[in-house]
Amino acid sequence: MSTTGGGGSDGPAATDGGSAEGGASSELRSDGGTTAAATAAEGPTLERSANTFVGDVWTNFKRWNLKAVRNPFVLVVSLVQPIIFLVLFTQVFGNIAGRALPGGISYETYLVPAIAIQVSLAAAVTSGVGLVNDIEEGMFEKVLVSPMNRTAVFLGKTLAELLRIGIQICIILVLGVALGAEVATGVAGALGIVAVGVLFSLWFISFSNTLAVLTKDQESTIIAANLLQFPLLFLSSAFLPLEALPGWIQTVATLNPVTYGVDAARAIILDADVMTVIDVSLGYGAALDTIVPAVAVLGALDLVLGAVAVYMLSRATSSKVR
Amino acid sequence: MSHEPRQRRGTGPEPAADGGQAYAIAGEGIEVTYSDGTRAVRGVDLHIPRGEFFGFLGPNGAGKTTTIKTLATLLSPTGGEVRVNGFDVSAEARKVRESIGYMAQETSVDPELTARENIRFSCEAYGVPRSERADRIDELLDLADLADVADKEADEFSGGMKKRLDAATALVHRPPLVFLDEPTTGLDPKARNRLWDYFRRINDQGTTVFLTTQYLEEADQLCDRLSVIAEGEIVATGSPDELKRRVGGEILDIELAGAEGVDAGSDGDGTDADAGPRERAATVARETDLFTNATVETTAEGLTVTAEDARAHGTDLLVALRDAGIGVTGFNIRAPTLDDVFLAITGEQLDEADEADEDAAAAEVTT
Repeated sequence: MSTTGGGGSDGPAATDGGSAEGGASSELRSDGGTTAAATAAEGPTLERSANTFVGDVWTNFKRWNLKAVRNPFVLVVSLVQPIIFLVLFTQVFGNIAGRALPGGISYETYLVPAIAIQVSLAAAVTSGVGLVNDIEEGMFEKVLVSPMNRTAVFLGKTLAELLRIGIQICIILVLGVALGAEVATGVAGALGIVAVGVLFSLWFISFSNTLAVLTKDQESTIIAANLLQFPLLFLSSAFLPLEALPGWIQTVATLNPVTYGVDAARAIILDADVMTVIDVSLGYGAALDTIVPAVAVLGALDLVLGAVAVYMLSRATSSKVR
Repeated sequence: MSHEPRQRRGTGPEPAADGGQAYAIAGEGIEVTYSDGTRAVRGVDLHIPRGEFFGFLGPNGAGKTTTIKTLATLLSPTGGEVRVNGFDVSAEARKVRESIGYMAQETSVDPELTARENIRFSCEAYGVPRSERADRIDELLDLADLADVADKEADEFSGGMKKRLDAATALVHRPPLVFLDEPTTGLDPKARNRLWDYFRRINDQGTTVFLTTQYLEEADQLCDRLSVIAEGEIVATGSPDELKRRVGGEILDIELAGAEGVDAGSDGDGTDADAGPRERAATVARETDLFTNATVETTAEGLTVTAEDARAHGTDLLVALRDAGIGVTGFNIRAPTLDDVFLAITGEQLDEADEADEDAAAAEVTT
């Protein structure tokens, strides 16, 4: 999903990949005499303008945004749990957890980046759920039988989801600030946190879409993705500094993508080098020593899982008989 | 099999026979074999002229859905050659997609979008020019009888309304060819009739229609020509009337006076001994040279004569029976139904109660 190259590999026989854009359809009208459109002149004529890649992305982007607005339930549900966490954790554990933190940092400020990542995780699950619904409602096949570029179809859907995730993280940041969190890097930093959340979401979006294609079942997709959510969150640097946690959790956290997402967002909100799992000093300055390696790890993860998702989707959309 | 294309509804002059272009669909030896070895489609030939309303009739699991998905580029044939609107379904899939409308067996509308938004999405997907979209959407809403609910979410629609909306979205780009895969399965008779009107209107406008159905009545009502498919092979092709004639002509049912009494009265006693009115009537019918190639059978009520000229000479037989002193209490001349055809061809009864199986089979095909 995060790469735009591999969609529409339609088995060996078909040629509807990302390359054959635009021009193909206008031929229908221009090289009269031999084509279907010309001979069909006595019947209805084929009236169409060429599909473009950007146009196909936009068409699908609009559809998924419209669905999100029509069904705000999805938006709210993926916000509810993180908000509960934000409020309860800061109120219940705030005093105790605060003691584990380096001086001068409030637990609100410490927790907000983690909640932003939690939102990203929870919202990414709905991407696969949307795909399963589309398969069940026949819209998936309807899109496949249309002349739209398949990479553009999934790109449009993913962009709509990323937009939603960005908005949700903004809501969390506003709420966090209202509860007393301080963003040391200001508005630019807040936008940076949104960007980190969006980047982080891509690997889980890819994962939930892969699950969707494999299970083709809404419940399995939700359950599998949700089951993973809590271990991922708790076995990371999300809620407490890793030094305060048992050794085995520190080991797991090193391998846990959530740690990198949270550390990058936290480095931005605190304007400090907070990463402990990888100790690098790139000489960029404090916060960047965390942000650069964390973003690199997340980017690599997005590429790998994105490639898997693209492969699974192009297999599912292939017309090759199986 | 010679099937002259019937340009029934004045769709203009027959297109020039310039190598495949006369046909909306031209397929030779289409094969679809699944990886588990199931041969869903076995060497099907299809030649469907432009403007025709063509039916694909068959029982559950006969290969109808697999064939239609192959024609619509959702499945690549594993053998044979298929050109749709002049384009190869495998090598020129995108061009085929641009030039066809497709309505899947399972209703496919986005329930969270309104009727108008569903049609608009398809307009954009099929590249309907921006300047024409608003008019096209209104036109299709009218055609589908959904103008008054245009801005309601499709979730609130009845099954029939969803089907009509689904069909409307398949027509946004005015495709010269539209595929309808069992479009009325699961609808009540009223909704079905409305959908039939809708399909007739589409065909009247010159659109070639390829319809699959397991309802004989539907094929009879709508189709110019149809093929019967069983176990992945076409077993008969022709107009509904041609196919019915294949059963051996028309059927003359005769009720005889006292026919039932004989059965009851001659218990234990051999009916051969005192020939009842049925046997005597059957003898009269067999010995007369009124009909060509007649089949005479006795029934509970009397007699059934099947012959191509049963209608022409039926009354003569009644006169002959009266002359022989056999009382006739009733008679009926009827054309064979497609049910008779189907039984004669496949030995299988089409059963609407088996829809669940078909759905299951279709679901497997989709995966």
